Amino acid sequence: MSVLRTEGLQKHFGGISAVADCSIAVEPGEILGLIGPNGSGKTSLLNILSGFLAPDAGSVWLAEEVVTGMTPVQLARRGLLRMFQMTRVFTRITVVDNMLTAGLALGLSEREAERRTESLLDELALAQVRYLDAGQLSGGQKKLLEFGMCFIEPPRIALLDEPFAAVHPVMREAMAGFIRRRHALGQTFILVSHDMPIIVDLCPRAVCMNAGRVIASGATRTVLQSAAVIEAYLAASADV
Amino acid sequence: MLAVDLLVNGLIFGLFYALMAVGLAMIFGVLKVVNFAHGEFYMIGSYAYVLIALKLGIPPWLALLLAALTGGALGWLVERLLMRPLYVGHGDWSIAKDEYAVVVTFGLSLLLVNLVDKIVGPYPFRGPVLIETARFQLGPVMLNGQKLIAAGVSLGLLIGLALFIKRSLWGRQIQAVAQNRLGASLAGIDATKTTSLVFVISGMMAALAGALLAPLINPGPDVGAFPAIKSYVIVVLGGMGSIWGGMAAALILGVCESFFAVYVSYAYRDAFGLILLILVLLVRPQGMFGEKGREV
Amino acid sequence: MSRVTTTSDAGNLWVNRLRRDFRASLALLALLSLAPLVVTTPYSLGILIVSIYFALLALGWNLLAGFTGQFSLAPAAFAMLGAYTTALLDYHLKAPLAVGIPAAIIGTALLGWLLGKVVLRLKGPYLSLTTLSFAEIARVVIGNSVEFTRGDQGLNVPTLFESRVGYYYLFLAVLLSVLIVLYLLMKSRTGRFWLAIRDDATGAASRGIDVVRYKTLAFALSCAICGLAGSLYGTFSQLVSPELGLLMQTGLVISMVVIGGMGTLTGPVVGALLVYLASEWLRDFGNIQMIVFAAAVILFARFLRTGLWGLAGRRFRRQSASGKT
Repeated sequence: MSVLRTEGLQKHFGGISAVADCSIAVEPGEILGLIGPNGSGKTSLLNILSGFLAPDAGSVWLAEEVVTGMTPVQLARRGLLRMFQMTRVFTRITVVDNMLTAGLALGLSEREAERRTESLLDELALAQVRYLDAGQLSGGQKKLLEFGMCFIEPPRIALLDEPFAAVHPVMREAMAGFIRRRHALGQTFILVSHDMPIIVDLCPRAVCMNAGRVIASGATRTVLQSAAVIEAYLAASADV
Repeated sequence: MLAVDLLVNGLIFGLFYALMAVGLAMIFGVLKVVNFAHGEFYMIGSYAYVLIALKLGIPPWLALLLAALTGGALGWLVERLLMRPLYVGHGDWSIAKDEYAVVVTFGLSLLLVNLVDKIVGPYPFRGPVLIETARFQLGPVMLNGQKLIAAGVSLGLLIGLALFIKRSLWGRQIQAVAQNRLGASLAGIDATKTTSLVFVISGMMAALAGALLAPLINPGPDVGAFPAIKSYVIVVLGGMGSIWGGMAAALILGVCESFFAVYVSYAYRDAFGLILLILVLLVRPQGMFGEKGREV
Repeated sequence: MSRVTTTSDAGNLWVNRLRRDFRASLALLALLSLAPLVVTTPYSLGILIVSIYFALLALGWNLLAGFTGQFSLAPAAFAMLGAYTTALLDYHLKAPLAVGIPAAIIGTALLGWLLGKVVLRLKGPYLSLTTLSFAEIARVVIGNSVEFTRGDQGLNVPTLFESRVGYYYLFLAVLLSVLIVLYLLMKSRTGRFWLAIRDDATGAASRGIDVVRYKTLAFALSCAICGLAGSLYGTFSQLVSPELGLLMQTGLVISMVVIGGMGTLTGPVVGALLVYLASEWLRDFGNIQMIVFAAAVILFARFLRTGLWGLAGRRFRRQSASGKT
């Protein structure tokens, strides 16, 4: 059974259709790549999946439960966690406190949250800066911290929105490594990225959106070479 | 025919409210913060008009113009000195933007009220009238000439402003910055200058409202509080930041209040706005005319 | 690397910051408890009592603004409502203070919870807008309801006891209790969630924190603290009037917290004492106190956002860090 499945999702903003008849399914343990030119509806879809937008029509299943229209809080508690393109960390408390807060929010005991914080900070190479306020971190470190917060209680599915955008190549490799290790442990992801080499590298399967619709899905290389996808990207770049 | 009378008087008050609210809505539009010193723009306009006309003996129409300039200058100063850190060069401020704006504009409101209280004194002044008139009857409606003149000027100002925003290059730049600050700057619009302009217009409009009403209200230092609260209600009703929504909501609030005062309770007429505010927040939080925005 | 070393000790962790802050506030209270040895005139003691009343309001407002990032403009209005709850229960029903004071706490908490329910599910400046409108209109409604509240004349309230020293220690004990409650809450997961909401509400929601619920809780609790302070103040001054809810009073509270230091326990108390004592002193210079404080609020918000206590705390951390190397 799919971890996450949508059927006929629709969302309009005024007269613009941001997501139209969108049906996707994510299988357990896979990293599904979600690609598409700018404005193709990826972020709107992610916002619907994570509960920040209510769809106009259609439904979302998390495993066997219908979760359409649930709030981000309800979804987070059910194990659907989301990372933002613009990092969202708690700037005026320390890195350790950020991690603890994330753990406590998902119902961990204080002791358990502390234990997991230590090992995750080591794994993410953030141990050095653990007592700094998160607002003082570099952009890449903030991203890594967000990974840590997301995985203090491994979610059923993690939605990553452009995690590699505007990040130093060294950090990018650290993040990709982290995703690979978690994947090896059976973690399920949706990965939104513009970085095609990384998509090809990390995601065996991909879905391409354009104008709010799924225009291709299947093995990543096949998707990237399909005529519809190439045309969509060419049209988008011609607009600019 | 009481109803017609109430409707006309309500619409007149609605026009004054609109002068206030439109500036508040424009500021919210471009900066996404509320100016809690907006009532003091009104108060300063009122005082400027009265003092210039009475103490300097300048003709009222000219005093009205000078009051508008005072309001505009105050708006410009506020933006230049206090608001600019919100969007220029302070990266980490974006997080604490709301708290800075609330604290600073509320502090400014207190500062201006107390400064005027200290310098001019706590006693209300009566402003000179623009043209000598008497009350007169127009069909079924009893009209106060002063009020009618003030309403006429307000209507002219609002139409002028509407045309300015819709038609002129500057007006379109304001709309662009309100829609998407970053996008507008990338397209070559000087967002900083545009924000300055919005504060100048906003200060002028509020000051003019205060000056026009000065012959009717006897301004004291705290005279701005209630007009400001009315404008807060209006910007929420009209959909935060929507200029047209704000204008419509101002007229609606004016008319509703005028009926409420007569048919329900005069003593609690000011509470009506709050009730309306809470009802709208419950049922349609994006305001009567606003579109529901995206959360992320 | 210098950035790393300045705060590379665990003293920066929230629990440690909070503990240091709490201890400092206890030390300040210990100092205050000795004040009646030096301050003996009833007038001066009265000034200290009023500053503690403001310290309570400042802590209530800081719980919202400094810890949760929500800006209410109605702390004075809720103090007024608390005072009126007690006064009206006495005036109409002859209810004893043992009923009237708890009723003020529960009444204001309930009202805050209801208002919060409406407003706090929305993002943006709605709380500030609504609380400001609410504050002014509540004051006008109380002033206009002459038959029910005697309007601007105000209401007489019975006193708990006659002794000024007694009242001083009562206010101090209440301040201590509020500080302890706030400390325990800020140490618990509730407090951590409040801080998360303050720093990024959307981020907090996506981590599974029920933002609306915790904001509403903070608002109700803050209102209850203000209501309690107002109710006690009414029994102390034996008169409540709509003037308790003037926006100017809210302005004083905000200036106390901003000058003292937002987001700390000690800052608001220090700020309340400093500002209120200064306002008594400035009164001799022709009532310029509000001008000074309003200007100070703007300058602090612009240039020293941590407030005086935050400044002291930063210096302390720097010293302790350099002491270790």
